[in-house]
Amino acid sequence: MGVGKSCLLHQFTDKKFMADCPHTIGVEFGTRIIEVAGQKIKLQIWDTAGQERFRAVTRSYYRGAAGALMVYDITRRSTYNHLSSWLTDTRNLTNPSTVIFLIGNKSDLDAQRDVTYEEAKQFADENGLMFVEASAKTGQNVEEAFLETAKKIYQSIQDGRLDLNAAESGVQHKPASPGRPLAAPPAARDNCAC
Amino acid sequence: MEDVLDEIVSSEDLQKFEKVFHEQLHRGTVTHKAQFEYAWCLVRSKYPTDIRKGILLLKELFNSHPEGKRDYLFYLAIGNARIKEYNKALHYVKSFLEIEPANQQVLTLERQITKRMEKEGLIGIAHWALLMNALLGVHYLFAKKKQIKED
Ligand SMILES: Nc1nc2c(ncn2[C@@H]2O[C@H](COP(=O)(O)OP(=O)(O)O)[C@@H](O)[C@H]2O)c(=O)[nH]1
Ligand SMILES: [Mg+2]
Repeated sequence: MGVGKSCLLHQFTDKKFMADCPHTIGVEFGTRIIEVAGQKIKLQIWDTAGQERFRAVTRSYYRGAAGALMVYDITRRSTYNHLSSWLTDTRNLTNPSTVIFLIGNKSDLDAQRDVTYEEAKQFADENGLMFVEASAKTGQNVEEAFLETAKKIYQSIQDGRLDLNAAESGVQHKPASPGRPLAAPPAARDNCAC
Repeated sequence: MEDVLDEIVSSEDLQKFEKVFHEQLHRGTVTHKAQFEYAWCLVRSKYPTDIRKGILLLKELFNSHPEGKRDYLFYLAIGNARIKEYNKALHYVKSFLEIEPANQQVLTLERQITKRMEKEGLIGIAHWALLMNALLGVHYLFAKKKQIKED
């Protein structure tokens, strides 16, 4: 069973929960326009399938991502245990300014919890990741996770840490069309098929 | 990039998976995985000849490796849509939906394909309209000339 990456994406883009979400084939693509500091930003999100047979090709989607969301399932420790190897992979394939956000999904299933909040929070702090527990089912913290990632990317641009002119920045500036000045393809790059 | 049909594979990726595939071919046995990875890159190429090659490789996989059927059907639909073989693309979508009628990823693809068919159909009509206008214009000029001569 998956950790809920596709459900998180659908909750964010369509505000719907899919109870019987089938396994993603390869990569699924989603977009949503949000506003950060009065600027319209179009998020392009790639939801990658975690199964081994897709792994080699989906790695290319990490390249040029401005942000990455890593997901584990709070009711299954095995998905949490895989995080360090996913993180190493993500760090190797992205650039140092890529924002990485950790999501502990299925927080609605608190009774079946297998990983404590404190433990995951500590892991996130040690590795400099942003972190929330969320539920794709109830929608709790889903907006927050994506919006916080976008805000952090936006801040990196403002501080000059992320160079818009670099091909690999994952961000495009669209000055020509008023009302949509920034197109930021970050990207849910998630993980854990398990 | 607006949807999955616009996505273009990077040339490094195409070359990387092509190399693996050819090495295995040379040694005499190609794994399903290597063939699928190469085909998946080919159908996202910007060159129709690559896409056609990807389609052939996927058809071969479809016939020889039943476990991967849903993946192969999905990329067969994408490949065909990208070379504007929309009816074939929809045929693969339909076969997929017979097995998984509620698959959002495939329903989205179906919508994108029909959207393209409509868009291109309309563009066709627009061309016709322009051509008709041009012909009418010429006709009108002729008519005028004649009138001038006759005057
Ligand atoms: N209770 C609960 N179930 C969830 C949640 N998110 C996903 N699921 C279920 O977990 C399964 C896998 O979800 P999916 O999004 O396909 O996982 P993926 O493989 O990571 O994309 C599906 O059956 C979902 O219905 C959640 O927040 N709470
Ligand atoms: Mg999925």
